[in-house]
Amino acid sequence: MRGLWLVVLLAVALAIAGCGGSGAKKGGTLTVIATDDIQYMDPGAQYYQFDYMVLAQPGQRALYGWKAGGTKPVPDLATSMPQVSDGGRTIKITLRKGVKFSPPVNRAVTSADVKYAIERLFLPQVGNGYALTYMAGLVGNKEYTEGKAKDIKGIETPDPQTLILKLTEPSYPVASANALALPGSAPVPQEYAARYDKGDTSSYAQHVVFTGPYMVRNDKSGKLVGWQPGKQIELVRNPNWDSKTDYRAANIDRILVKLKVNATVASRQILNGKGMVNGDFAAPPTPILKQALDSRKGQLDILPGQSNRYISLNTTIKPLDDVNVRRAIAAVTDRDELRLTRGGPTLGAVANHFIPPGIPGFDEAGGNAGPGFDFTKNPNGDVELAKSYMRKAGFASGMYSGPPLLMVGDNEEPSNRTAEAFQAQLQKIGIGVKLRQVPHATVLSEFCQTPKAKVALCPNLGWAKDFYDAEAFVDLLFAGSAIQPDGGNYNHAEFNDPKINKEIEAARKVTDPAARAKAYGQIDRDVTNLAPVVTWLWDNQVNIRSKDVKGVVNAFNSTYDLSFTSIK
Amino acid sequence: MTTGVPEVLPQQAAPDIEARSPVELFWRRLRRDRLALASLGFIVLLVAAAALAPAIVDVAGARPPNETGKRFLDPGFGTPTGPSATNRFGVDTLGRDVFSRVLYGARASLLVALVATALAVAIGLLVGMLAGYFGGWVDTVLSRLVDVLLAFPILLLALGVAAACSLGEGCLNGLVQPGLGVVIFVIAFVNWTVIARIVRGQVLSLREREFVEASRSLGASHARILTREILPNLAAPLIVYTTLLIPQNILFEAALSFLGVGVQPPDASWGKMIADASEVFDSAWWFMLFPGVALLLTVLAFNILGDGMRDALGARSART
Repeated sequence: MRGLWLVVLLAVALAIAGCGGSGAKKGGTLTVIATDDIQYMDPGAQYYQFDYMVLAQPGQRALYGWKAGGTKPVPDLATSMPQVSDGGRTIKITLRKGVKFSPPVNRAVTSADVKYAIERLFLPQVGNGYALTYMAGLVGNKEYTEGKAKDIKGIETPDPQTLILKLTEPSYPVASANALALPGSAPVPQEYAARYDKGDTSSYAQHVVFTGPYMVRNDKSGKLVGWQPGKQIELVRNPNWDSKTDYRAANIDRILVKLKVNATVASRQILNGKGMVNGDFAAPPTPILKQALDSRKGQLDILPGQSNRYISLNTTIKPLDDVNVRRAIAAVTDRDELRLTRGGPTLGAVANHFIPPGIPGFDEAGGNAGPGFDFTKNPNGDVELAKSYMRKAGFASGMYSGPPLLMVGDNEEPSNRTAEAFQAQLQKIGIGVKLRQVPHATVLSEFCQTPKAKVALCPNLGWAKDFYDAEAFVDLLFAGSAIQPDGGNYNHAEFNDPKINKEIEAARKVTDPAARAKAYGQIDRDVTNLAPVVTWLWDNQVNIRSKDVKGVVNAFNSTYDLSFTSIK
Repeated sequence: MTTGVPEVLPQQAAPDIEARSPVELFWRRLRRDRLALASLGFIVLLVAAAALAPAIVDVAGARPPNETGKRFLDPGFGTPTGPSATNRFGVDTLGRDVFSRVLYGARASLLVALVATALAVAIGLLVGMLAGYFGGWVDTVLSRLVDVLLAFPILLLALGVAAACSLGEGCLNGLVQPGLGVVIFVIAFVNWTVIARIVRGQVLSLREREFVEASRSLGASHARILTREILPNLAAPLIVYTTLLIPQNILFEAALSFLGVGVQPPDASWGKMIADASEVFDSAWWFMLFPGVALLLTVLAFNILGDGMRDALGARSART
């Protein structure tokens, strides 16, 4: 039943997305309202959904991109998919002619601009978060990062339209173009940007030039005068953009992004107002969502978020080092109740394994039915089963009898409710919890990503895809080698299982998509069986828009696609 | 007019002059103030209810305050349901009984208000007496310290201290634990300065009075003068300011909990309930109404009683 429901949702989403391109009215101003700020203006640092939505997708042309309804990358600045040779070690990409930088640069884009864009991802002052994960195989990147070489030898530009990447070993993310659809491959003009890239922190963010249909309003020197950090971003049409070179429709004339607005206020404004869509918040607050589903259903676009929410159980802290205690916790967790704390079934499906729907490996791990372990079977939790696992772990009464465990969660709605509900659920098998609630950024930086903080339970974690591949869902989170003892640790459970480590090592090297999905699906099953985390939700994103907005959604980003959305 | 008869005024019966102690006087005056008496009654009831909360919940057949219940939430959205036979005041966003949580919330409010106020008064009294009585460099040091602390924006200072103590294992080597301990510490910390200033002023004038001079010339020690001569004379102003502080501190606790640095989950506090309720206010009025009314009545009762006590002490017109 749940499976059917998700499929229907996806079909609706695709149908909406499919009818976006033609017949849309041109012109008008669209206002995007967000509850927080953007993360990065610099395409070299952008790594988050909201930045993609309002800056990268409408403003920059990476080598590859995502059409509104597509789940596979398509050529954007490139003319065709990458040509792979030399056993996956050489990747040749041909660039489109007629793509120009926005003022004040005003010239045609060449392969040297892409080379510089990729090179600067390795500069510490740019602050990129994924180059070392997906581009580490580039020949000569180490020498460049250490300052021994002036450029990365493995990026060749034989002529202005040709780019060749040389890799030390085959890489599925690069060969499949997934990693080349991240905003980091959007061209950056070296003669203009190099002076801003000097120093401890690059200041290119204040002077970014654009290649997409929209640009942040700037002055003659290139300074972004349309950007008031924390308040507003104004995007206008890029005069140098040529629609003949692009798949984007670019219907709207002007995009206004309002930042740091209260979610309730923002939701009311969007639903009752004109020409507005939501920005960074995944769903309107529950009371408004409820009203909207009753009376304004046509203004909602619910998309699978291709992300999950989970609770980590620190496998180095007693009694969580015992797999049967972890299974007992998984069994006692009422995942349906946790979902209710976020707003109920509209917000997604109850999860029973880690890889979310839509990501290769999901079906192979058991799909919606799940991998079939008894402790993940009942979405409402099973106290008796949990007690039987506690007995297996040596607690004769089925109840835990040790000191309380430290749990650190968010202090904001609705995540704080999730933590409190989980705290009450653990009580059913006698596990007492000292719950500390702090801002989300502190939860991560000071506690859950820092092993020496010795946090037993982290209830407010979530993971979203980088693109349609399971590697990013597994490697950083469950490989023993990924544990960072001094901080910045994403293996929150400090999970280090020799068998799983081997499986991960092998899966990374698989390049055939079907075999790859199978390998990662199997890892997901095996990890779920050892329960270092309790995955409880596969998110939906609930997007809202004003009545007069013809919203087109981007399936990759789970948000509205500003390059196709129009005003009625 | 003369009649030749010497005018004799009728002898009036002299009224019986009863000797009444100050406490007796105070009580007679207070008894005339009906509103203050009603407030006193309410406070006594509230204290009893807070102390007997587990028994009351049991007898009333209500659910324990920390018991969640998703069966009391809308299965579609998780929004709380309203007052019913099982949950007299409705449930909160986790399906917990608002009735028992309001009752248990009274414990947090009263505990914080009374303990924190007592601590603040004790510290303030000690510092104020030392500064006022000894004067000189003692006064200079203590008074400047008070001035510095008074110059801080109180809520910000409280938030900072509370936030610092709420992380991990508390602060001051674990002496101040996250939760109620932090709130009590913070409130006492920001409030003692006011008391210290007032006490210092009083002591400054008291120490020049004849009875103190007399005591001193008879060779009494500083300790004796401070405890036997000066302290009793501070009782009236102290009571006045304490009654002012208590309701203020109940609100302060509510504010800190509202801002998320007070009582730790899953324990109930009125301020935290009001904060949690604000998001679902338009669909679950009961979640805000009941703790809100409880807070309002309690603060009002303490204020009215304080007013009555002030009048009964004659503190407003007294020479102090």
